[in-house]
Amino acid sequence: MTDAALMPQLLPALRECVGPGGLREAPTIAAYALDGVEPWAALVPRDEDEVSRALGLASEHGLAVVPWGGGAHQSVGHLPARYDLALDLRRMNQIRAYEPADMTVTVHAGVTVTDLQRVLAEAGQFLPLDPPLPDRATIGGVVTANLNGPLRCRYGTVRDLVLGVRVAHADGTITKAGARVVKNATAYDVTKLHVGAHGTLGVVLEATLRVQPRPALERGWWLVGASVEEFQTLATRLLGSHLAPNRLEVVVGDGRAICGSPEPGPALMISFAGVKDAVEDQAATLDVLARAAGFRVVPIDDGPAVWRMVQDFPWESAVHGRAFRIEWRASVLPSDCAKTMQALAVAVPAPGMTMAATVAHGVLRGEISAASSDDLAARLREAREAVSGVGGFLVVTAAPAPIRAAIDMWGPTPGDAALMRQLKAAFDPGGVLNPGRFIEGL
Amino acid sequence: MTSETRRRLLAACRDIVGADGVVSAPDELRVYECDALTTDHRAAPDLVVLPTSTDQVAAVVRLCATAGVPIVPRGAGTGLSGGAIATRGGVLVVLTRMNRVLDIDLANRTATVEAGCVNLAISRAVAPHGFFFAPDPASQQASTIGGNVAENAGGPHCLKYGATKNHVLGATIVLPSGEITHFGGRLADQPGYDLLGVFVGSEGTLGICTEVIVRLLPVPQAVKTLLAVFRSIEEASNAVSAIIARGIIPVALEMIDQETTQAVEAYAHAGYPLDAGAVLLIELEGLSAEIATEAVEVEQACRAHGCLDAKVARSDEERTLLWKGRKSAAGAFGRMTRNYYHQDAVVPRTKLAAVLREIAAIGVQHGVRVPNVFHAGDGNIHPLLCYDDRVPGQFERAMAAGDEIMRCCIRAGGTVSGEHGIGVEKREYLRLMYSDDDLAAMQRVQQVFDPAGRCNPGKIFPDQRHEERAP
Repeated sequence: MTDAALMPQLLPALRECVGPGGLREAPTIAAYALDGVEPWAALVPRDEDEVSRALGLASEHGLAVVPWGGGAHQSVGHLPARYDLALDLRRMNQIRAYEPADMTVTVHAGVTVTDLQRVLAEAGQFLPLDPPLPDRATIGGVVTANLNGPLRCRYGTVRDLVLGVRVAHADGTITKAGARVVKNATAYDVTKLHVGAHGTLGVVLEATLRVQPRPALERGWWLVGASVEEFQTLATRLLGSHLAPNRLEVVVGDGRAICGSPEPGPALMISFAGVKDAVEDQAATLDVLARAAGFRVVPIDDGPAVWRMVQDFPWESAVHGRAFRIEWRASVLPSDCAKTMQALAVAVPAPGMTMAATVAHGVLRGEISAASSDDLAARLREAREAVSGVGGFLVVTAAPAPIRAAIDMWGPTPGDAALMRQLKAAFDPGGVLNPGRFIEGL
Repeated sequence: MTSETRRRLLAACRDIVGADGVVSAPDELRVYECDALTTDHRAAPDLVVLPTSTDQVAAVVRLCATAGVPIVPRGAGTGLSGGAIATRGGVLVVLTRMNRVLDIDLANRTATVEAGCVNLAISRAVAPHGFFFAPDPASQQASTIGGNVAENAGGPHCLKYGATKNHVLGATIVLPSGEITHFGGRLADQPGYDLLGVFVGSEGTLGICTEVIVRLLPVPQAVKTLLAVFRSIEEASNAVSAIIARGIIPVALEMIDQETTQAVEAYAHAGYPLDAGAVLLIELEGLSAEIATEAVEVEQACRAHGCLDAKVARSDEERTLLWKGRKSAAGAFGRMTRNYYHQDAVVPRTKLAAVLREIAAIGVQHGVRVPNVFHAGDGNIHPLLCYDDRVPGQFERAMAAGDEIMRCCIRAGGTVSGEHGIGVEKREYLRLMYSDDDLAAMQRVQQVFDPAGRCNPGKIFPDQRHEERAP
């Protein structure tokens, strides 16, 4: 356990690790507070040597370290069991290697998604990941929190796009995993262990990612005037056809607020991207299918702004003004999206629930609001039961402090929890990295 | 293994899987002493067991755990890095009798199959419904999905679709302790560590996979196959970069050099030109409107880099014939040389031309012929080191050339395996890519899964480290 008296003595040594400009202490560390809990200090290293030295020291003295990127998704998971140091990686913000013809890019963890996209755009390419809040979200955060968005429908997820990482271990050792080439079968793919591990096995310092050519054109439509089941039927049909939707979302609740939908009630949003002829061909097929089913098809004129709203939902939705609010994500079989949304709508009656589903992967997300803390907790229980009734699971991604402290944010672990505990013990025996944050209290 | 241990194991295994599921006669065991790795690694297992269910696999593995003997999983034995060789003896668990397709769920685009199911059998089972399973290793008519998972198998079409890892959603695993567990599953984004991600490509060292949930893809609307002819490998390599640089990702982009072209043509009659320095087999797949545009661009890119002739397959028959040439390459090797060592490495696409030039020089320097037929689109080369084991010194020269080729690929920023795996073949080369700390992080994972070091021992990791951690 951390000795409170120890910190003032350690500060000079920590400052030596990261340089005078790399250490922040009270009162300038409010930005690193988690539910009101501030660390002793925040370290803002410039390179991996500084990270290595700082972690070595933290490890030696049993300090708990919380890695930080943009802080946009720190609401995920439990509060850390202990919180001595914040490790802010935003000064590690260089593009390390980028050869457009190889279609790979290697970047520091602290580069924001938006900044990386800007560089890739100059070469006519992009990273086909659209996590929520990309202006703040860093690559390190996106990898460790496995943050994806509607584009996963066509391009897959972080796990498919990360080719390799450099990682600082709890004791400060730096290792690499994977490689800078698009195909690799050399020993264990340890990279995968860090994707979605929330920094509990190591701190991701650098990642090599697969990038893609920017499509010449993207066009989207709202389909409205039908029930959620009817949208599910159409979505299942499209996803099993030769069409290649770029994004395909079903939205339930206040669609106007979530995605600027032309009318209230459920909506299916879809886009196609690529060369003009192919986009137009697919649009024509969609039009025939949708009209035959009796849906109204409304073109999305301001695609970038509308898709950005959907991408950020519910992390910064327009549905504010209620103090008691929970954000969640859930997974079910793709064909069960509509069923799940209906069960959720029954469990949490309007106007308490808005939600969106990426049908291709059966991934839903949304928010629940209520008039009181008790009411909110009750609604969450109902929602979780509704999702597990369909065979899925629900993870809370943001909750008010008292609720976060009282509930299991992750819910039951669907996989082999025993092996996961052993992995954590093998990689971070002292509990230095984000202790208590993850599943099973890891 | 002592004869007493062996006798007891034999009786117990017969109880578990039945007498017809155990191979114990020395001459029959010899069938299992190697896989498709063509160099001189051989070792017969003490016993071979062919279970028919996950429970049987678990029972056999528990038995071996109690007896403290190694277990080695094996599918069809088509692996090219020696991963299925029982280098330290023990019980070889062969999964080919577990070959059923258990479930096809078209609405969710998944299939659940037993590990011994042959790769191509999955696509065949779902083809009538308009779906396919994307990974297509050259061995796909024989290799099993369990083996594909173990090796993270690739294939020509993984340029667009990705390797096995990108198409496996879940697996049932028998851990080295004999415990049955499940990694991943049909629900996306499961919270927790990605155990499936680290298991795929672990070459049978973390447990035995018995069932796999795979992702199915809808059959694309259209496909277009082109054969582009070049004066030299160098020009063909530059064309590869130019195609990718135009933002086109063909579904396959294969290069075949002159020596292979000639050997292939002699019996496949695929219509490859005999005088070309290299040919590119380029396939586009997707929406017809999209590939029509892309085909024009691909041809332009090729012509801009010295392409002498480009022909487009006009029918399914022509397309099949062009592919027959490529797919016959492995069979043609036997005509090209008495013995060969088939290498696998990856370099960044932009370094292809330079690396291939260096490989040619290495071949000349060692007096070794090195024909090459490979997945150019993702920089995955397959130099074929030719030798004659009757001529003293040839094998050694081929190995020396191979060693230099590996080093050259690493210098170019590449890796020592793109799809064949490390197995027994490339353990020492790992050190060229990874530091001791990098390898230690991997072995930490191994120790969690297999603390006793009994699951496919002697694979992947360089010797010294393995001995340090062996009990």
